[in-house]
Amino acid sequence: MLEKLSLDGRVAVITGGGGGLGTAISLALAEAGADIVVTDFRPEDGEKTAAKVTGVGRKSVFFRADVTKSDQVNNMMAKAIAQWGKVDILVNCAGIVREEQPKPFWEISDFEWHRGIDTNLAGAFYCSRAVAKHMVERKYGRIINIASGFGMRGRRNSFMYNAAKAGVILFTMSLALTLSRDGIRVNAVAPGLFQTWGGAARYDAAAPFIPMGRVGQAPEIGPLAVYLASDASDYSTGEVFSIDGGALFSGYAPVNYVPVVSIDK
Amino acid sequence: MIPKEFSLSGKVAVVGGAGRSWLKELASYLGEAGADVVLFGQDEKQMAAAAQAVKTMGRRAITITTNVTSSREVEKMVAKAVGQFGQIDILVNSFDLQFAKPLVEVTVDEWNRVLATNLNAVFASAKAVGKHMLERKQGKIITISSGLAERGLPNSTAYCTSKGGVIQFTRALALEWARQNIRVNAIALGWMAEGAEVQDETWRNLLTHYIPVARFGQPDDLAAVLVYLASDASSFVTGSTFYVTGGLMAHG
Repeated sequence: MLEKLSLDGRVAVITGGGGGLGTAISLALAEAGADIVVTDFRPEDGEKTAAKVTGVGRKSVFFRADVTKSDQVNNMMAKAIAQWGKVDILVNCAGIVREEQPKPFWEISDFEWHRGIDTNLAGAFYCSRAVAKHMVERKYGRIINIASGFGMRGRRNSFMYNAAKAGVILFTMSLALTLSRDGIRVNAVAPGLFQTWGGAARYDAAAPFIPMGRVGQAPEIGPLAVYLASDASDYSTGEVFSIDGGALFSGYAPVNYVPVVSIDK
Repeated sequence: MIPKEFSLSGKVAVVGGAGRSWLKELASYLGEAGADVVLFGQDEKQMAAAAQAVKTMGRRAITITTNVTSSREVEKMVAKAVGQFGQIDILVNSFDLQFAKPLVEVTVDEWNRVLATNLNAVFASAKAVGKHMLERKQGKIITISSGLAERGLPNSTAYCTSKGGVIQFTRALALEWARQNIRVNAIALGWMAEGAEVQDETWRNLLTHYIPVARFGQPDDLAAVLVYLASDASSFVTGSTFYVTGGLMAHG
């Protein structure tokens, strides 16, 4: 049964493919057999990922696109489909975590609001819209939206990110129901805190607040992406897969609160 | 290519079944990934078939007849399993006793039997195997629950309660053992083929049209997700519930 995890002969498009999770997902899908179209608005980072994919023996190409611009997305997807004749898998991984600098809520500008919502939510919509008709015509497709545990929980001074990621989760559910009879599966991954850029020291302060006591390493998301990109997950759609070291269902008390109370007073 | 992280080579899995448990299939997926398997429960015919399936794959398998609702018997089972294979890396709980009737007709005995099998047995086996896992500071525990842990269904109070309990048990234990390198996760199933609901043609057609992917689930739909949660592929996953319901959880 496990042979269903193989992605031999599949073509995947990874948005945000130059980032930490995007690179890890690109490589994991490639190692499972898929050829990879890397897209990102940062050409250097995207080209780097494409070169790494080639390094593990799969075909790869980089197309630049800003996911907040639907004309660029449509153009990128048309080129992606033309490249090897089809797209089987779309991973919406492009996103921005937070503003350049924290500021009082009432000072967030319209521009900042729209940038946060557009990158994290509209981007997933534009990319899915650009590929969905092609997938419906072929009666096959896998769409994986990288959401976040913060799409289900609040966080101080984090508005666009949390609201957009919550939107990604509900977008996932509605799109899954819409396309479920056409051989297309749409699922979300909700990562917790991963070390995606910079050194480990950046994450030292956060690690104690995660039940497992550490942040995730980017390659750890790979096998889950392969599972959801493959035929092995044919019976899951519209669902959210958490990978967060236990974070989602903590939060009711500090991690180090471990009560011991007798049942008899 | 199957990602190498999914390998269970050198691992020992203990799989408990009661009721509708797909013991043979679950055991064979673990065996296929390279694990040796210990089967426990009371359905000896089902356990023997499961052990045979694992052996066919060139892995070792034993069966230990156990009343899964008895803590004492489960503890004895763990001692035997460790005695035989030296270690336990993975525990899979697949306890699924079902019935459906109006609440006012549910007897105390029926209520207790469902809670004992579906929920108390999860407690007993996680506790007994967990002691061993805590000593080794490693382990994976997988509970099998249902979409009915999160959704309601008429005439199903006992079942919904038990399966909801399994998921909350999973979350709470995941936090308790998160720093001991023991991962605790749940798989939640949807409408599976072979159940009572597929016997009746009217209900079968109704549900088939209702399920977003337009078919009942098959045990094979669990293969990869089971091995994912049992293996190093899920090294950063704990306290999670992976739904395999054909899209039901997205329904309004």
